[in-house]
Amino acid sequence: MGRQRIGYFEDLQDPERICSRCHMCELICAFHHHQVGNPKRSRIRLISLDKGVDIPVTCLNCEDPPCMNICPTGALHRLESEGMVTVNEDLCIGCAMCVNACPVGAVTLDPVDGVAVKCDLCDGDPQCVAYCPANVLKLTDAERFARHRMKEYAKFLQAAGETT
Amino acid sequence: MSTFGGGYAGKMLYVNLTDGSIQSRPLDRSFALNYIGGRGFSSRILLDEVKPGIDPYCPDNVVVIAAGTLSGTPTPSSGRLVVAAKSPMTGGLGDANSGGYWSPELKYAGFDAIVIHGKAKEPVYLWIEDGRAELRPAQHLWGQNITETRNLLREEIGDDDIHICAIGPAGENLIRYACVVTDEEGVGGRCGIGAVIGSKKLKAVVVRGSLDVGIADPERFKKTLDAYRETLAGEVWTETLRRLGTPNLTAHRQSHGIWGAKNFQRATIEDYEPISGENFRKKFLMKPIGCMGCLVRCKRYSAIKDGPFAGIHTVGPEYETINALAAKPYVTDPAIVLRAHYLCDEYGLDEQGVGSTVAMAMELYERGLLTKEQTDGQEMVFGNGEALLYFIDKIAYRQGFGALLAEGTKIMGERLNADYYAIHIKGLEVDATDPRKQVTRALTYAVSTRGACHLRGNPYIDEFIKPEEAEAYFGTAAVSELEALEGKGKMVAWSEDWVTISDQMGLCKFAWYRSRSFPMLIKRGLELAKEAFISATGLPMTNEKLYECGERVYNVEKLFNLRQGIGREGDYPPARFFEEELADGPAKGCKLDRKEYDRLLDDYYEARGWDKKTGEPTPEKLRLLGLQ
Repeated sequence: MGRQRIGYFEDLQDPERICSRCHMCELICAFHHHQVGNPKRSRIRLISLDKGVDIPVTCLNCEDPPCMNICPTGALHRLESEGMVTVNEDLCIGCAMCVNACPVGAVTLDPVDGVAVKCDLCDGDPQCVAYCPANVLKLTDAERFARHRMKEYAKFLQAAGETT
Repeated sequence: MSTFGGGYAGKMLYVNLTDGSIQSRPLDRSFALNYIGGRGFSSRILLDEVKPGIDPYCPDNVVVIAAGTLSGTPTPSSGRLVVAAKSPMTGGLGDANSGGYWSPELKYAGFDAIVIHGKAKEPVYLWIEDGRAELRPAQHLWGQNITETRNLLREEIGDDDIHICAIGPAGENLIRYACVVTDEEGVGGRCGIGAVIGSKKLKAVVVRGSLDVGIADPERFKKTLDAYRETLAGEVWTETLRRLGTPNLTAHRQSHGIWGAKNFQRATIEDYEPISGENFRKKFLMKPIGCMGCLVRCKRYSAIKDGPFAGIHTVGPEYETINALAAKPYVTDPAIVLRAHYLCDEYGLDEQGVGSTVAMAMELYERGLLTKEQTDGQEMVFGNGEALLYFIDKIAYRQGFGALLAEGTKIMGERLNADYYAIHIKGLEVDATDPRKQVTRALTYAVSTRGACHLRGNPYIDEFIKPEEAEAYFGTAAVSELEALEGKGKMVAWSEDWVTISDQMGLCKFAWYRSRSFPMLIKRGLELAKEAFISATGLPMTNEKLYECGERVYNVEKLFNLRQGIGREGDYPPARFFEEELADGPAKGCKLDRKEYDRLLDDYYEARGWDKKTGEPTPEKLRLLGLQ
C-alpha cells in the first residue's frame, strides 16, 4: 500500500455520487479535532465554484512534502516513512510558510490557536469518510485514485464507442 | 466568551438604521431557556417591540433575523434561519424560513440573532465578521438581482466564501410578497419579509465568521448525532427526498387529487407527466444539494441543457415551485416552470405569491372579470406560460398590470371586487395542497399564525398513528381514524407546538420532523432534539419543558396577531372551499362543511386554552406559560 490520503471519488454518471455541498466533512473534522462547530478549523475544505461544482480538498500526502521541507522549526514532520505529515503544535510558531508552500492549500493556520493544522487521517479512521452522506470521500492512495480516474476515462471511451 | 456552555454565540446584534447605531447585547439565559432560539426569539421580540396597528413599511416595523439554536453545531440539518417582521401580506406576524449555510455562518460570526429597527436614508448593507458589525453604503447594489448582488459583494470584500442574505429588486420595489434569499440556495419565501427589509433600504446582510460554536458535552453530543443518523436508516421518506427532492410530492397530489390547480378549480392535472418530480429529475437534475450538515439532501441543483432557456443553472425546483408556477397557472412545460422559478429567485419574489396571483388573474380573465386592456394586452388564460414569464418581470418592477399583481390576491380581490377568487388565509395565499378533502388540513392552514401554511403544523398524524398511541397522547383512539373529528383539534394543536420546536432549534422539518411512525416523531423531534440541545448548550431541558417552549411561542404569536386585530374570523379557510366541491379526480365531490369546521375550530381553541369567541388565550393558559 502506498502513502495514504483522503480521495474524492465522484461518479459523474450518477447525480447521487457527487459532492452535494452539505459541508458535513468540515463540520465533523472540526468537531473531531477541537470538539466545536467551526468549519474554518477543519482540515478538509469544501470549495464551491459556480454552476453547482463543489469539490472537497485536503492534504495529498506528498512524497516530497514542501510544507515539511520548508518548516523552520521542524514542527511539521513525518513519524513513519509511509505516514502522514503531522504538526507538533508545541514547535509550531505560526509563520505560515507551510501554508504558502502547499500547492493545494491543504495546510491552514488555525483561526483560534494560530498554529498550522492539516489532515492527520484521524489515526486511520477519517471522520469525513465515515460521515460523508454521498459516500464520495474515501481513504485511498495515489495508485487507487489513479485507477479510479482511469476507470472514469474508460467509461467515457465506452460511451463514445457506443455512439459512433 | 459566551456565558453558555456552547450552542449559542451568546450575543444579539441590535441595529438602528435611522441613526446608524449598532449595539451588541448579551443573550439572556432565561430568555434562551424560555424561547430556545430561531422563531422563538423572533416571535417574542416582535411581540415586545412592534406596536399594534403600524404600517408594515414604516420605520417602526422591526425585522428579526434569528439563527436556530443548533445552527453552527455539527447537528445534521440544523442550519435553518428565521427572518421575521410584521407582515405586509397579513398585517400580523410574518416569518420566513430558509435553509442553506447562512444561519451557521451568523453563529460563527458571533451572533445568535439580529434585530433591525428604523429606516436608512440611502441603501446600505450590514457587514458582520467575528463579533464586529458595520453598515456600508449599498447604492451600487440597489436594483441588482440576487446573483449580481452576490458577485459585486464578493468582489468588493475580496472573498467568494462570504455568506449573503439579500433582497432582490422585488424587495426594493415593495412587492408585497418579496422574499429574502440566502446565498444561492436558501429562500425565505413567505409573508413578504423581503419587502419590509426593502422598506428599510437594507439590501443585504453579509456574514463571515471563524469563531467557535461550542459543544458543552462533546461525548453526549456525539452519541446524539449518531443516534439521529441511525433513525434515518430505513426511513423511506429520506430515500425519496434524496432521489426526487420535495417534487416527489407531485405524485401524491396527482393520485389523491389535491393539487389546487387552476386557482383551485381543478384537483388533478390532465397533462401531469411533464411536471412530475420524476420528469424534473430526468430532464434537469445535476445533483442533490444538502444544506449545512444535511444527510438527507433534498435540494435540487438543476440545469437546463437545451431549448430557449439553455444555460440556466438554479437550485430547485421544490414541490412548492411546481405547485405555484405549474399547477396554479396550469403551465405544464417544465422548462418554463424552471425558468419562472429562476426569475423569481433572481428578483427575490415568493413563487407562491407569483403563481397564486397570476392564477387568480387568469381565472378572472376567463370569467370576463378582467379584460385584455387591463392585462396589458396579454391573453391571461390558464396554460399560458408566456404570460406567466411576462408578468414575473412586470411584477418585480411594478409595471402595467404587474403593479396590481404585485399586491397579492387579497388586495387584488378587493380592488377588482372579486374577493371570492382570492384564495388566501389572513392575506397569505394557500400553498401546498387543496385541503377540501381533509378538514384537519384545512384547520392547520387556517389557524396558522403566519397565514395559510402547510408547515405550521403536522395534520397527517392521523394517517399512521396507532390507536393505543393516539389514546396515550391525545386521550382518544379516535385520532387514529382518518374520518373521525374527535380529538383532532388537540392533535393539530399538539403538532403545531411540536413543529415550532424545529423552527426554534433551526432543525429541518423534512429531516427531523417527518416519519410514518409516531414513536419516531417523538424520538427524533422531541427526545433527540432535546438531547442535542442539552449536549450543545449545557442548559437543562426535558421533553415536557421543550414542548412547552413550542407552545409558549405559538401563544406569543397568537397574542401578536390578536393585538394587530386578527381574531377568530382570521382562522377560516377561503369561502370557495365551503361552497364548491372538488371538480375532478379521486376526491371529486369533497368540500368543507361549515358546521363541521366550526366544531373543529371550537375543539382546537379548547385544546389550546383559548376563548372560543375571541381566540384570546385564557388567563390560566397565560399563567401556565409564564406569559401573564
